[in-house]
Amino acid sequence: MKLPLPSFARTTTFRLAVVHAVVFLFFTFGLLIYLFYSTAGYMRSQSVKELDGEVQALAAAFNSGGMDRLNQSVVERSSVPGPYFYVLQDPFGDTISGDFATIPDDLPVEGSRETNFTYQTLNRNGEVETRSANGIIIRLPNDANLMVAYDLGTRRQIVDRITRTVWTALPIGLAMSLIGGFLISRSAAQRAEQLTRTTDGIISGDLSRRAPVVGSGDEFDRLSERLNAMLDKLEHLMMTTRHAGDAIAHDLRSPLTRLRNRLEADLRDGDEADREESLERTIAEVDAVLATFNAILSLSRIQAGDAARFDTVDVSLLASELCELYEPAAEDDNLGFATEIEPGVSITGERSLIAQAMTNLLDNAIKYTPAGGALTLRVRTTADDHAEISVTDTGPGIPAEDRERATKRFVRLEASRTQPGNGLGLAMVDAIARLHRGNLELSDGPGEPPNTGLRAALILPKP
Amino acid sequence: MNILVIEDDQEMAGFVERVLREEGHSVSVVHDGDSGLSMARSMDADLMIVDRMLPRKNGLDLVREYRESGGASPALFLSALGDVDHRVEGLKAGGDDYLTKPFAPSELVARVEALGRRGGSETPITVLKVGDLEMNLLARTVKRGAESIDLQPREFRLLEFLMRNAGQVVTRTMLLEKVWDYHFDPQTNVIDVHISRLRGKIDKEFDRPLLHTVRGAGYRLQA
Repeated sequence: MKLPLPSFARTTTFRLAVVHAVVFLFFTFGLLIYLFYSTAGYMRSQSVKELDGEVQALAAAFNSGGMDRLNQSVVERSSVPGPYFYVLQDPFGDTISGDFATIPDDLPVEGSRETNFTYQTLNRNGEVETRSANGIIIRLPNDANLMVAYDLGTRRQIVDRITRTVWTALPIGLAMSLIGGFLISRSAAQRAEQLTRTTDGIISGDLSRRAPVVGSGDEFDRLSERLNAMLDKLEHLMMTTRHAGDAIAHDLRSPLTRLRNRLEADLRDGDEADREESLERTIAEVDAVLATFNAILSLSRIQAGDAARFDTVDVSLLASELCELYEPAAEDDNLGFATEIEPGVSITGERSLIAQAMTNLLDNAIKYTPAGGALTLRVRTTADDHAEISVTDTGPGIPAEDRERATKRFVRLEASRTQPGNGLGLAMVDAIARLHRGNLELSDGPGEPPNTGLRAALILPKP
Repeated sequence: MNILVIEDDQEMAGFVERVLREEGHSVSVVHDGDSGLSMARSMDADLMIVDRMLPRKNGLDLVREYRESGGASPALFLSALGDVDHRVEGLKAGGDDYLTKPFAPSELVARVEALGRRGGSETPITVLKVGDLEMNLLARTVKRGAESIDLQPREFRLLEFLMRNAGQVVTRTMLLEKVWDYHFDPQTNVIDVHISRLRGKIDKEFDRPLLHTVRGAGYRLQA
């Protein structure tokens, strides 16, 4: 039966720490083993080389000056303290000179043989110590024998120390890697925990909660940023929905109440002729209510909209079509209507919505510009490669402090109260701009104060 | 006209029925998609008005299946879904026009008249005539009496639409949709201005006006 893991073992922190420790341990162990073998191997090859050097030097002495010269060299070398041992025996097996009384191993029949032996010596404390050595015995051409050997003690000491270090380092490394793994993974797990708490808060109804962004730009920050952007959008949609309800109540209730009162009055008194006129006015007012209702619906749809069905829209072409539609109306109101349309400017979007936005801007310009004024429809590519659709007029303009407010639903600035309209025009343009990842800019037009005019520009990203 | 209304909302169905009866049409009403389809197949109506969202079979499928089985009666969709792609879906399914709820009765009547008329003549027309106003669609010329009238291309299309629907009320929304291909209502009187320009060209010099304004509804071209 499989035992259930204790709860701490199921955490990411624990798992990551263990994985981290195991991986760290493998790496460390491998590294140390490599270090050990490469050091030991290097030392071995080094001592073999040095031994070879000694043998070569002594052979040279023998070749140049025979046994006497060789004997002299052996005596000289034996007297120098160091890890090398020498023994020279004459052809009869008697020791002539050297560090030992005899060669401590079998002699080679001819040539040379390698030798390993142990010897006893007094250490610094005056105790007898057995040490091992490795060397080479050479039969000289005159049948004399020469041994050159090397004390292995130093080498062994180094190797022992390395081994000890490895065994001491391993548990420390293991402990440290566990701690390190725990710390690292805990910080990651804490970020995840923060996200969990944020979403818990949101689920319980607090839509203003946001995931923390530390500013490190790491994956968690990016995740938090995307999450926050999503929450912003959601909150915006929620607000929009809530506002739509208020807006419908606000903007439809008063005309409907007015209608009801009039109908009631007609029912009570009023003759046939009056009634007919009243009915016609009623129809006109109901039409206005329907138009407002449709505008509210389409604004909500735009604000909740998606970019899925976007297509390439030739803004220049659309502008000239709309210009053709609006020019007579402008002329009738005694307004100059100029166009400056750069050909071939296109964006990715929905044609009907872009047309709607341009129409709203043109409607506003015609509505608010007094007779004798002028409006201009421009389409151009900006320096940073955006499509800019602007409508300028010589009307009263919008004071700088009101511009932000002017794009809100149902905001009708003081100056416009007397004009027909539902207060959704600029809100809709703004929503359409946002849907196309662009924005609506309101600024002063070309006029002189106080009638500065208005320049409303739709800035949209090009594909 | 013999009109079939397929609409599940009793009140809306009653409203449509009343409006159309007042105009002198005979109206049959069914309330769900399945019976709507079998009714459409059996009765050979002059026009059917179909709600998009119906119980048992939605309006799109209904019209699509009706067309696939060879049904030719023009269909007008009624829907609360008024986005451009909803319209396109409706037209693709075989609808002939698309009206978004809520709508004014005059709008419904105007569209019904326009569709009923369209269903009548299948042979291509080359000359349209209303009174002494004559439009040659091939030569793209217009004359009233003996006098030839010079029109801009858009004015020509506007007049063509009015002449094809002569005697019927056409609304501003219909003009904007059919002549300019825009599916929304401008706040200013752009259409009125175009109409008055056109009126200036075809009516001004003549005793008897042809292009009439219908208050609260739209326009009517009539001899």
